[in-house]
Amino acid sequence: MNTSPIIDFFLHQGVPFETVILILMLPIIATFIAFLRQVVGIKAFGIYAPLIVTFAFLATNGLKYGIAIFVTVIFTGMLMRFVLKPFRLLYLPRVALMLTAVAILILGVLVIGGEFRRTGLAAVSIFPILIMITIVEKFVAVQIEKGDKVAIVLAIETLFISIIGFYIASSENLRSFLALYPWIIFFTIPINILLGKWTGLRISEYFRFHKIMKNL
Amino acid sequence: MFEFFKLNRQILGMNCRNLEYIRPFNRSRAKKLADNKLLSKKILKKNNISVPKLLAKISNLQELESFDWQSLPESFALKPNRGFGGEGILVVYGKKKPARNPAERDSVAGGDKNDAWIKADRTLISIEDLKTHIRNILDGSFSLSGTPDTAFFEERLQLLKLFKPYSYKGIPDIRVIVFNKVPLMAMLRLPTKSSSGKANLQQGAIGVGIDIATGTTTTAVLGKNKMIDYIPGTRLLLSGIKIPYWNDILKLSVRAQEISNLGFLGADIAIDKINGPTIIELNARPGLSIQIANLSGLKRRLEKVKDLKIKTIEKGVRVGKDLFGGEIEEELEEISGRRVIGTVEKVKLISKDGQETEVEAKIDTGAYSTSIDIELAKQLGFEKLLENFSKISLANYNLKPENESFIKKDFLEKYKISLPELEDISIIFSSNGASIRPVVKLNLIIDSIEITSLINIADRKYLNYSMIIGKRNLGKFLIDVNK
Repeated sequence: MNTSPIIDFFLHQGVPFETVILILMLPIIATFIAFLRQVVGIKAFGIYAPLIVTFAFLATNGLKYGIAIFVTVIFTGMLMRFVLKPFRLLYLPRVALMLTAVAILILGVLVIGGEFRRTGLAAVSIFPILIMITIVEKFVAVQIEKGDKVAIVLAIETLFISIIGFYIASSENLRSFLALYPWIIFFTIPINILLGKWTGLRISEYFRFHKIMKNL
Repeated sequence: MFEFFKLNRQILGMNCRNLEYIRPFNRSRAKKLADNKLLSKKILKKNNISVPKLLAKISNLQELESFDWQSLPESFALKPNRGFGGEGILVVYGKKKPARNPAERDSVAGGDKNDAWIKADRTLISIEDLKTHIRNILDGSFSLSGTPDTAFFEERLQLLKLFKPYSYKGIPDIRVIVFNKVPLMAMLRLPTKSSSGKANLQQGAIGVGIDIATGTTTTAVLGKNKMIDYIPGTRLLLSGIKIPYWNDILKLSVRAQEISNLGFLGADIAIDKINGPTIIELNARPGLSIQIANLSGLKRRLEKVKDLKIKTIEKGVRVGKDLFGGEIEEELEEISGRRVIGTVEKVKLISKDGQETEVEAKIDTGAYSTSIDIELAKQLGFEKLLENFSKISLANYNLKPENESFIKKDFLEKYKISLPELEDISIIFSSNGASIRPVVKLNLIIDSIEITSLINIADRKYLNYSMIIGKRNLGKFLIDVNK
């Protein structure tokens, strides 16, 4: 594969190629998420959650296992809210209990995966799993503040962004392009400045306000 | 495609609101004030603006443990100091009497229900439940940044009779968007069952657009995006509701902007039965749904007002009305040549020395003439007349309907010279005997129309209004019972 001299330098210093590419991917995915928020109007759980879930997906062996784990996490989060409601617990202990429940359930999912000879699932390294488990805190926070419905919508949006992010980051073309021209990540700077100054309606707002259109 | 551009020019979106209006016009100091409900309450109160009374506040766990629950009234609102979008607000409507049978009480899940209040959905909330809620507030579960917060109790406002059929449990409020001292757009927010008595659109309340010029409701949206004509499940029309005290509400919202220094403000104003328009909350990041409720965009309005230099509140209100008000009522008034007034109107009375006194008068189409209370007449400078009038002995007259014209003639002949202000007398025959009332000439202003009229003076001490306006003075008006 052709690589730019700077990449060659990194490799020579002993930084793995995969790591370099993933780090270079980060500003691109982040910009993409910012674009989805400001121009399209997809909110998700902020910028950090979809970003980290995207990278968790990249680190799991195949998207489907990543999605399975994500859905398990969110599902447990929902379930535990109902279970824990009558106990009236304070926020942090409640989240800790949720994390416990999610951890146990994930373990269960991995075991079941092994039973069905889905060895890919069990072979998923621990860090992406841990990353996704921590999403439950975001989920619980939104659940308390904005209710179940909003929390689920935002979870779905997060999943959606992460899946697209996954495809972008695993696109062979983009990867080899980045390896060849790593400097293009600086293009994200003017793009983000433009996004930061963008005052037009978001695409979602065209739908939200379409009823006014007939009246103008 | 062209229509999309049009929408973009007229509608205020999230990006534009944040970048072009909130960022430059709502400085962080002012935002801090708006986000801190207790502080804004204090400052508004200092400026003599009516706010809901603070009952108690709890700022840490010690205070929570030592809190005297018996000090709470039957109904109150519990709020997080830095809450956002109506989250974390808990309203109770009544207190449940303790259950008689202790065994029964203990079997109820949730512990001691000895003292319990009733929520909007009729479910009970015990002291324990309240404590948990307050702990969550103190933990910052509802605050903007998730930082520890203070919980406070405030009095629940008294619902205006007019709004009773329209709102489920809670108090409706009026959101007014003010920019550069001009009220731009307003919406009446009606709590529904699904919003559990809260007047917040995100939680399923109804937002009703209001014509800025007249305070009459226009179009309505349920929740985020559903246009409706009637209150769901009823035949109550949402358009055409006349918001009382409309002028005062607009003035109050502009005044709130002056005090808070928020250039782009969403003022939430409720009408209390006793105190009238009351500011419940100031909002530094007002939502955008108000545009749907009014089927109109904010962006154009903001741009129109941006460069104006407005010095006084009155001017700001006038500009808002002229620029953004519809012409519903004007149209009606133009066609009929008459002004539209409500069943209770503010009337200005002009005393003999030219001073104006404003009173609330009942518009009484069942009465022929207009009458004012003795005390009011004294204020208007008829003290002497009344004093002399009361000295006259009426015993000589046989107060019977058939003698009416004779009595009038005789009375005026005898006393007209000693009582120069007396224009006439009127004899009132009622079930508890007949009486003679003095009639004077007075200038009054009803809805900006000045009338000179003969008005009789009566003892209205025990009546609701110190003035009624009868048919004789209503020729120039149409009466709207909803107003």
